[in-house]
Amino acid sequence: MSDNVKGVFAHLDSLLTGIQRVRKAGYHDFTVTSPLPRHEIEEAIYDGIPSPVRWWTMTGGLIGGSGGFTLASLSSAVWPMTLPGGKPVVSVPAFFVVTFECTVLFAGLFTLLGLLFHCRLPSLNLDIEVQDPRFSLDRFGLIVHGAGAKRAEIAKLLHDAGADEVANAEASHG
Amino acid sequence: MQAAQTYADVNRDVLRPLFKPTPLWAGALALDLVVLAFGGYCWAHQLEWGLGVAGYTPPVFWGVYITTFVFWVGIGHAGTLISAILFLFRARWRTGIYRASEAMTIFAVLTAALFPIIHVGRAWYVFFLFPYPNQRELWPNFKSPLVWDVFAINTYLITSTVFFIIGLIPDIAAVRDGSTGLIRKVYNLLCLGWRGTDNQWRHYMAAYGFFAALCTPLVLSVHSVVSWDFAMAQTAGWHSTIFPPYFVAGAIFSGCAMVITLLVPLSKIFEWEEYINVWHFEHLAKLCLLTGSVLTYAYGIEHFIAWYSDNPYEWGIFVDRATGNYSWVFATMVFCNCLAPLIWWSKKMRTNLYVLFGVSLLINVGMWFERYNIIASSLAHQFDPGAWVYYQPTWVEMGILAGSFAWFGMWFLLFVKLMPAVAIAEIKEAMRPPLKHDHVEAA
Repeated sequence: MSDNVKGVFAHLDSLLTGIQRVRKAGYHDFTVTSPLPRHEIEEAIYDGIPSPVRWWTMTGGLIGGSGGFTLASLSSAVWPMTLPGGKPVVSVPAFFVVTFECTVLFAGLFTLLGLLFHCRLPSLNLDIEVQDPRFSLDRFGLIVHGAGAKRAEIAKLLHDAGADEVANAEASHG
Repeated sequence: MQAAQTYADVNRDVLRPLFKPTPLWAGALALDLVVLAFGGYCWAHQLEWGLGVAGYTPPVFWGVYITTFVFWVGIGHAGTLISAILFLFRARWRTGIYRASEAMTIFAVLTAALFPIIHVGRAWYVFFLFPYPNQRELWPNFKSPLVWDVFAINTYLITSTVFFIIGLIPDIAAVRDGSTGLIRKVYNLLCLGWRGTDNQWRHYMAAYGFFAALCTPLVLSVHSVVSWDFAMAQTAGWHSTIFPPYFVAGAIFSGCAMVITLLVPLSKIFEWEEYINVWHFEHLAKLCLLTGSVLTYAYGIEHFIAWYSDNPYEWGIFVDRATGNYSWVFATMVFCNCLAPLIWWSKKMRTNLYVLFGVSLLINVGMWFERYNIIASSLAHQFDPGAWVYYQPTWVEMGILAGSFAWFGMWFLLFVKLMPAVAIAEIKEAMRPPLKHDHVEAA
């Protein structure tokens, strides 16, 4: 028997009521699954705190930009051709393109790493036989973890909020 | 077909054509592979005998291959424009078409990336393009636009591919959840075990926004950098500051036309009229009208400045383009890019699927000839009249050109059968969410 209680919701407003009541009742270890991103869900759970992925993007951009300019500059310094017309060996306008491209490239790759890290992906331990297929179709899920002896209380809470179905679930944390 | 009323309807409609090869699809793929095989044969022939089998005539050493390279990079613009820029602008008409357009972008850039390899002749030396330290203390020249281009194209390819795949992840999970057996296992691996939890969506949406913001300047920068391959050179007809905006406008023009070319039949064959329809095509046609006007202006101002500069070489090349050996190329370009799209000023015409499809094909042809016009005519008519030649492509070059379309077509055909070509989660986002409140009120 699992320690989780799963509520399946057909309506977004019932789900939001469910989240509100679960939090109010003092349960903070729960997972909400949905077939689409809804900002109402994020606001109901995270109180407007932004995702830390942005720091990954900025770090990648800074590393990429400085790395790109350094690559172009050092490569030119290794083979310092002074051409007629007085173009400098390290030329900011000429190296701007490489600097810009490396900024975007590394910002993108770091954003990807940040996304995977914070989403805990790839999630190799996902038991696909247990994964409820309705959660990528048209149903929202609210799974309260570690219910223990309070299972009946939580089940009632979810039911009253408007869950169409309340059951024990094997689903893991997410 | 029933109208999509609920979230489940979207899954039903979008996933329906997957994994079921129809005779039409299989026939198209078979024909495509035959053309691809011929293109492969032509390339093998060139690898065996060298670049002499191409029609290069000194001093023309850039021909069909570079033309086709620029053509495919240009096609690759519309997808990211639609997926990233229109996402930031919250353009609602983007939702139905962005996935297929993005796929088109990736496959177009993949196709373009073949051409530097084919063009250098000795393909096994292509790694010389990349900046790597070697024993001869020889480094690529970072002041050369060709090196900038290596960075621009690769960054564009990698970043837009990652953006595309991130967008696909929740929809691959939807394919997984709608299937059983081996397909379920494979698609679970492909979506990395996505579950759609609050935590995952939260970071996903943040990352998606950043990717859109990162891809936006790339849309404008890639073709600007490609245009510098020409504009930085001291060749009459190329050495012009108008090139970056002129090339970017041309790229968006050709890319939107290619989206129309691909999606008009796709929405019909897959019965996706509810998700991809005239409303979307009309918006694309309007984008084509805008960028086509910019392009027409650029053609005009190029000629005007060549005349006004009083530089005999510059004016000479522009007179030659319009009246010389390549006048038929010039005429095709003007007809397809400047005149044909004008029909779309009529609302009746830009909402007619046959007209949309026909004109979009003409634009594709016209944009290939535009690049051919710029590249071949300038090189064949340089400063010294003693070096004027008439470059004509050989069957090998034309075979490789045809093969490039087949290569692109193969990826696109496989994509529409293996992946959801309409973004399921985003279509749902555009719908009104199911609310209990509504039911209570209705009762």
